[in-house]
Amino acid sequence: MKLVVAVIKPFKIQEVTDALREIGIIGITIVEVRGHGRQGGHSEVYRGAEYKVEYVPKLRIELLVNDADVDRVVASITESARTGKIGDGKWWIIPIENVGRIRTGETGPDAV
Amino acid sequence: MSRGKKLFLTSFLTLIALIAVGQFHHNADPTGNKTGGTADFLAASGRAKVQLSQSGVNALANEVGHLHVSINFTWLLITGFLVLFMQVGFAFLVTGLTRAKNAGHMMMMNLSSFVIALLAYYAIGFAFQFGGINLVGGTGNIGGTGPLNSLFGHGNAGVIGLHGFFLQSGNSYDVGVLAFFLFQVVFMETAGYIIIGAIAERITFAAFICAEIAMGAIIYPIYGNWVWGGGWLSQLGHSLDLGHGAVDFAGSGVVHATGGWAALALAMLLGPRIGKYRKDGTVRAFPGHNLGYVVIGTLVLTFGWMGFNPGSTFGATDLRIAIVAVNTLLAASAGAVMAMAWTNWKWGKPDISMTCNGMLAGLVAITAPCAFVAPWASLVIGMIAGVLVCWSVSFFDNKAKIDDPCGAISVHGMCGAWGLLAVGLFADGTYPAKVVGWNGVPGGVTGLFYGGDGAGQLLAQAIDLVVGFIWAWGATYLIFLVVRRFVKMRVDPEVEIEGLDEGEFGQICYPDFVIRAETDTGITHELDAVGAPGTDPS
Repeated sequence: MKLVVAVIKPFKIQEVTDALREIGIIGITIVEVRGHGRQGGHSEVYRGAEYKVEYVPKLRIELLVNDADVDRVVASITESARTGKIGDGKWWIIPIENVGRIRTGETGPDAV
Repeated sequence: MSRGKKLFLTSFLTLIALIAVGQFHHNADPTGNKTGGTADFLAASGRAKVQLSQSGVNALANEVGHLHVSINFTWLLITGFLVLFMQVGFAFLVTGLTRAKNAGHMMMMNLSSFVIALLAYYAIGFAFQFGGINLVGGTGNIGGTGPLNSLFGHGNAGVIGLHGFFLQSGNSYDVGVLAFFLFQVVFMETAGYIIIGAIAERITFAAFICAEIAMGAIIYPIYGNWVWGGGWLSQLGHSLDLGHGAVDFAGSGVVHATGGWAALALAMLLGPRIGKYRKDGTVRAFPGHNLGYVVIGTLVLTFGWMGFNPGSTFGATDLRIAIVAVNTLLAASAGAVMAMAWTNWKWGKPDISMTCNGMLAGLVAITAPCAFVAPWASLVIGMIAGVLVCWSVSFFDNKAKIDDPCGAISVHGMCGAWGLLAVGLFADGTYPAKVVGWNGVPGGVTGLFYGGDGAGQLLAQAIDLVVGFIWAWGATYLIFLVVRRFVKMRVDPEVEIEGLDEGEFGQICYPDFVIRAETDTGITHELDAVGAPGTDPS
């Protein structure tokens, strides 16, 4: 069991969830975050004073995935979230010790 | 048939029957030609017939006079209500220009400025300002205000009025006095809330209350007496033979410059917001949290200004109101466009908040000259104001290093002063009518570009400007040098950083949102290295 995490551009979320649904992945968690990668934001001017827009709004999505599906999920996210411009984001994988469904009490791969 | 259907049918047929029966009455007047006529005159005057006798004619004249005054009362009150609505506009404007963590504090200041300053003005300020207005006859349109007739330093040297305290003394319980009071109190309120723009995000509520009491009772009304209450500035036309004396139609000086310079004094005493100036002296931007509010506020203020300026004729029987209104809108638009152009040229993109400030700058600047100038001149006055405000915001932020979160000093102080001078330049002599005159000097108000005593008028305006600045800035500064010995003026650094909503009021304006937008605040650097907040000299 793995947690696939990705940080993507906010307007891409519908495309990503649609693409995941097409390969059979339904559950997802979304958090509104801010951040930047290597480019470090950009500058604007407010009433004559320059300020840096350093932390750009993004969405962080998390999916619990069985080991066998990880590659398909990563490929799906990457293709649907890419624009080719700066700020497209990153994905990473976290190994998960255990998972449980709260309503039914199932645990392990059945609960994913 | 079911019960429901029976009930419906019965009700429906009853309704049809009632309507049918109603058709037999024929007293309606759909065109309006038959409503209001001789019968109403007879009812109002208590007479049985219209007669061509002296008493019959007297009755007609009496009713005409009453109507004349009534339409002006209506005008005065309705435009006063429009000015009251400007309170809403300003609340939106300044709340949008400041940070979300202080939104409750901003709104509370706007709300409480209204009520506290009103009570202070009711108790003391109105009497100071207008206690002697009847002596110079400035309220003919509403039938005069006889009870207000006591001026200390009467004649050419009036300094303070002495009738009308609590609207009780000197028999001020009078319809004319109260209508006049309503109109004047909402003007005072404008000066009262202007200061909010410069003291925002760091003043304590206690000190703010003191500021509003001071504004309503002392700062506004005394200078207001000198210009509008028959005081010495208005009499410069007699005492020093300078045009019509200080001329300020709706208050570029009395209201806006007073508010702006008082704001300057308070901003200087308070010091800048924590983190506003970096150690190397550069300015840190604190973007407003809602530019939508800023625009809404600006447009609401513009709408309210349709009461502020045209209402200052005190009467709808003075048809110059049409020209006043158009002049006001022209200046507003010119100011906005110039600010848009200037910011686009200077900073690469048209600045939304400065465009709003530009519109307001035009409105402030036209407020004194609006009744005396031609439409083309209003355009020029507004354009200059639009550029002036942009330059001024930059100046106070970068050169003078006086933190003015909403640009109050620039919009109201600088452009209010420009408005006063503009009268002395552009007034074209077409208003008021020769016989009526202004400030007791016959003839239309004339500025430098139109000959006559234009040079004298300009000098009177300049004197008005300088005196207004010294008074508003000086009185505020002195009062607060005393006040701050007893009342804490600035909130603690922790409160300022966390947001005044919680620290001063225990209530957050936006409790459903996590407000952590600020990233570049310099707070850690400034506090660690310097210690005292906002007093970093560099």
